[in-house]
Amino acid sequence: MTTVAWTRRRFAVSAFWRSFRADREGLIGLISLLVIAVIALAAPLLASATELSPTKATGPVLAAPSLEYPFGTDDSGRSVLLLVIWGSRVSLLVGLAATLISMVIGTVVGVAAGHFGGAGGFLTRFAGGTLNRLTEWFLVIPYLPLAIALMVVAIRYNLPLVLAVIIVIGITSWPSTARLVRAQTLAIEGRPYIERAKVLGAGHWHQMTRHVLPNVMPLVLANTTLTVSIAILAETTLSFLGLGSGDSISWGTIISSARNHVAMSNGQWWWFLFPGIAVVVVVRAFNMCGRALERILDPRLKERS
Amino acid sequence: MSTPSALRRTAIAAIAAAALLVPALPALADATPSAGASGGAAGRSKTSFVIGMKNEPDSLNPYVGVEAISYDLYQLMYDYLTEPSATDMSPAPALAERWETSADGKTWTYHLRHGVKWSDGQDLDADDVVYSFQRSKDGETENGQYGSYVDPIEKITKVDQYTVTMTTTEPSPSMLHLAVPIVPEHVWKNVTAAQVGTFANDSSVVGSGPFQLAEVKKGQYYRFTANKQYWNGAPKIDELVYQLFKDDDTMVQALKKGDIDFAEDLTAAQYNALKGDANITLHSAPSTFVYELAFNLGAATTENKPIGDGNAVLKDLNVRKAIDHAIDKKVLVDKVLQGHGSVATGEIPPLYPKLHWDPTDADARQFDPAKANQILDQAGYAKGADGIRVDKSGKKISLRLFGREDSEDSKSSVQYIRDWLKDIGIEVKTQIMSTEQLTDVIGKGEYDMFHWDWGVEPDPDFQLSVFTCDQRSTEEDGAISAGWSDSFLCDPAYEALYKKQKTIIDLDQRAAAVKEAQKWLYDNVVYSTLWNGHVMEAYRNDRFTGFVEQPSTGGSLAVQFGTYSYRAIQPYVAPAAAAKESKTGLMLGIAGGVVVLLIAVGAVVMVRRRGTADERE
Amino acid sequence: MSETTGGGAARRRPRATGLGYVLRKVLGSVLTLLFVAVFNFFLFQILPGDPAKAFAPKGRNSDPEALAALRRQYGSGLSLWEKFTRYVDRMVHLDFGVSYTQHAEVTKVIGERLWPTVLLSGTALLLAAGIGVWIGARSGWRHGSRFDRSSSSIAVTAYSMPEWWLGLILIFAFASPGGLDIFPLTGMRDSRSTLPEWLDVAWHMVLPVASLAVVYIAEYSLIMRSSILDERYSEYLTVARAKGLRDDVVLRRHALPNALLPSVTLFLMSVGFIVSGAITVETIFSWPGLGLLTSEALRGPDVPLLQGVFIVFSAGVILMNLVADLVYPLLDPRVRRS
Repeated sequence: MTTVAWTRRRFAVSAFWRSFRADREGLIGLISLLVIAVIALAAPLLASATELSPTKATGPVLAAPSLEYPFGTDDSGRSVLLLVIWGSRVSLLVGLAATLISMVIGTVVGVAAGHFGGAGGFLTRFAGGTLNRLTEWFLVIPYLPLAIALMVVAIRYNLPLVLAVIIVIGITSWPSTARLVRAQTLAIEGRPYIERAKVLGAGHWHQMTRHVLPNVMPLVLANTTLTVSIAILAETTLSFLGLGSGDSISWGTIISSARNHVAMSNGQWWWFLFPGIAVVVVVRAFNMCGRALERILDPRLKERS
Repeated sequence: MSTPSALRRTAIAAIAAAALLVPALPALADATPSAGASGGAAGRSKTSFVIGMKNEPDSLNPYVGVEAISYDLYQLMYDYLTEPSATDMSPAPALAERWETSADGKTWTYHLRHGVKWSDGQDLDADDVVYSFQRSKDGETENGQYGSYVDPIEKITKVDQYTVTMTTTEPSPSMLHLAVPIVPEHVWKNVTAAQVGTFANDSSVVGSGPFQLAEVKKGQYYRFTANKQYWNGAPKIDELVYQLFKDDDTMVQALKKGDIDFAEDLTAAQYNALKGDANITLHSAPSTFVYELAFNLGAATTENKPIGDGNAVLKDLNVRKAIDHAIDKKVLVDKVLQGHGSVATGEIPPLYPKLHWDPTDADARQFDPAKANQILDQAGYAKGADGIRVDKSGKKISLRLFGREDSEDSKSSVQYIRDWLKDIGIEVKTQIMSTEQLTDVIGKGEYDMFHWDWGVEPDPDFQLSVFTCDQRSTEEDGAISAGWSDSFLCDPAYEALYKKQKTIIDLDQRAAAVKEAQKWLYDNVVYSTLWNGHVMEAYRNDRFTGFVEQPSTGGSLAVQFGTYSYRAIQPYVAPAAAAKESKTGLMLGIAGGVVVLLIAVGAVVMVRRRGTADERE
Repeated sequence: MSETTGGGAARRRPRATGLGYVLRKVLGSVLTLLFVAVFNFFLFQILPGDPAKAFAPKGRNSDPEALAALRRQYGSGLSLWEKFTRYVDRMVHLDFGVSYTQHAEVTKVIGERLWPTVLLSGTALLLAAGIGVWIGARSGWRHGSRFDRSSSSIAVTAYSMPEWWLGLILIFAFASPGGLDIFPLTGMRDSRSTLPEWLDVAWHMVLPVASLAVVYIAEYSLIMRSSILDERYSEYLTVARAKGLRDDVVLRRHALPNALLPSVTLFLMSVGFIVSGAITVETIFSWPGLGLLTSEALRGPDVPLLQGVFIVFSAGVILMNLVADLVYPLLDPRVRRS
């Protein structure tokens, strides 16, 4: 059984890859992400720690973009290009890590809510119903005030800030994944082969992991890319409000610095334009991949491309 | 397939839109904010001077509010016995016309001015003076504010309606710098001790000062009307408005657009943004503020009970010396302040030339990271494998450095300091917090280092007192209340020096004692003093003129020890100044016209396409 | 709404109409609000904040006895349960306490700032809904056309932007001397302006509304587009076209209403994101609403104010969800009939 299953899976994956390759938007998105990932990983080679230190920076203060400093310099004389490159690390790290947390929690809760909520004895339905209620309730709480409150706590109690931001964003974004996963779980559970598995004596765990989960994963994957883009935007926003990564350089902190130094009235547009463009480029790349994945995985959409 | 009729319809629509707007243009042009202060502005019969500021007063109650801006507002509403002169901050007569001191310097007699009235018509006399001082002595909250002035006073007596005598236990030179506001007894006797802490004093305020509170809109503005019966001469303006701004860009733009007349306490970035405008005069002068990196020297209460969690290595003088050597203060002045400041050494800024102290070349500590490393090596703090030193117990030296959220300079400085200290093997973790939180944390001793500043008064006693044992936190019922000490220094040698300057009446002798005290503080690196800030201000020279600097050698124009500028300024009478406004109106008109045009064209296009849709299908 | 059932267990679908439905939904909303209130309590228990600071002078001047009395009044010494019951009691009386930074009652402070937020966000929402629906419908209907491709591309880019950053760009371009200095930089009104109030406010609203609306338009147009795509190839539309109806009539009278339904729901549900947009954009533009209040309350932190604002935002979202639940069956007869 397993070899057959594996062959089926491999075939499905390569078919998937072929569809993805054919989707122009998705391909561009993916390539962009790879380039960005390379830049982020190579950042330590491109920007030495000394050039990022305000005490060691040697550039002219607040200089407009030039050949030597393509993105201009900031108030300490640091190259904004280097700051943007370095900032990609925090933004991407937080985005990906927070999404991981959100996905794990969301998938677990969603599958459980869907599986237990559908059928079975009273207790299981109650458990599923409660999980569903919980999801709905958390969905209602607007994410930014909650994130702000949690970050204020983290700052006050001196918790490591980057970790705090990751956890906070993860906690505030799991409900939408959970809801999506739950709906998908319910749809899957209606299919005949699940019934057969149950009749054959498959327990809850087996059903959830062997049948529901693999079928839910593609949707979760599509949702992941969209969640990453939301997480990156959230991190940038929190950093901009002064609640983010504290000491570390991230795109949000660069823009916040620019604003606090009256860059607007001083006409220092490069200071807040380029970090923002970086955010848009990265988030857009994730969105493009997400949209491509949705197109490939949604059977209705497939008919009409 | 364009038809002539369609094009014609579009053209007609566009012309109609433009025609509608033309009559509106002059109206819009007039509607923009015009130079309000110059004579003849529409509907403005009184002169209003608007100051933009970023910090909000924490309270208008003179016994409660501690923000610098709060003290500025007390000066508007209330008077004092003496005031620092505009030329050199020496004591000048205010409510006290003249005074006498006994030979032993312990008895002071003040002769009050006749004919000063409170804003409700009652006379200001010795009863009010005695009441104000007595209250500051007796009340706990009140004493917390003015204790340094009134504690040396033993007895306050009314001699006659316009004479007050005060006796002190020791000779006290501060008796001519008593910045205790004189409040009306007939009003404040109804504010009990239990109420005073929460009494807002923000309406129906009775005062004798040059301006009276008219309106408070918290978070927005504070409006004062001029007291035309002021004993020192009526202010030449009718109204003084302090307008609050939430961010720097807004304030800069407001000054440029004329929404405010004066912008105070600018940052270097704001200052730069205001350059190049002929209507705006920029002013950068030495201030009374000295900025420091403060250390936790071993936080403990006045009963010597240790509190907080300061890192013990900071108790070692060598460590503090090394830290001071590792900071390049010149770079801070050049980069963070962009030149608007000077490197500091002593606690009293050069603005007070008689009291300012500078170390000799031999004693001065220069920026010298090599020397810092040497000091730490010799003191036994070896560097670990990661370059960070370990203390005597083998633990990595990691210090917390707190910066303030409301100050860009503070936020930038802590980053610089962090990186410099890393070079000498000390790990620093920075954290930015609000001033409320920082005050709280300091009071509890839960800090290692922080970056803050003091505004030094003309009488140095208060500033020197913050380093005394008595100013440390106190504990009652398990709750800790902060004093003024933010170093928790408690050293008998310093106590002696402090007491010495406190009782010398002769100015020159006292100056020598004050300098001794500063030297002690410097040699023992109680603070790592960083820089003396400049006060940067800007105002509309096409609106107001007549600002008075304090001191005359170069100082602030607005927020001063006294109300000189506010009373002296008058509207600047200019020739026709309306040239600028119509530009905004014109732009309004153009923008509106473009929008209407687009809508008109869009509508026509849609109608046309609808008509041809049938044929296209 | 209706739930699909799993493998075989017979369950009656609840009817999406009638008083029973309304009551169920309202009850559900109330329960959710209660949950939020409880959550709020526990969340802010861990937030630092000394109630004594609301009144007492700054640390250096505080009379220890007065401070202690104030702390007792605010229940520092009480157990968690006692604090909770006090909290519930106060909540019922809509008493959120006194703001530390504003020195006034939280309900009063929030009341003063509510309208500017509603005005700003509401205008942006309505504008975005209208324009977004139009763009999305047209783009979905003409799937693959140049309009569709370019508008979708622009929408995805706009959707990837932080709305506050867009605000910064707009300020720089249109309200600063570095660009076209037309619009006011910030705030809701110029204190010295002689324009009629509504015009002055409208003029100040242009840039903030634009910042919010662009991102919402992008979102709604994409949602609408995919709804239209769902409908586009349905049978009933083929019939309508076969009958000879013009293309845009088919769109307007048949496809659009059906495609609007999920959009309406999503529109109402997305109010939650409006909240975060309001906070950041109001901060950028110093727009005196609840969003700016939230930013300011971060100083301190002003716990009572944050608590109050939190509940208000959540209540707003709950209300919009309730409206969505109640309105949807009215719009979609299919659901009503179940």
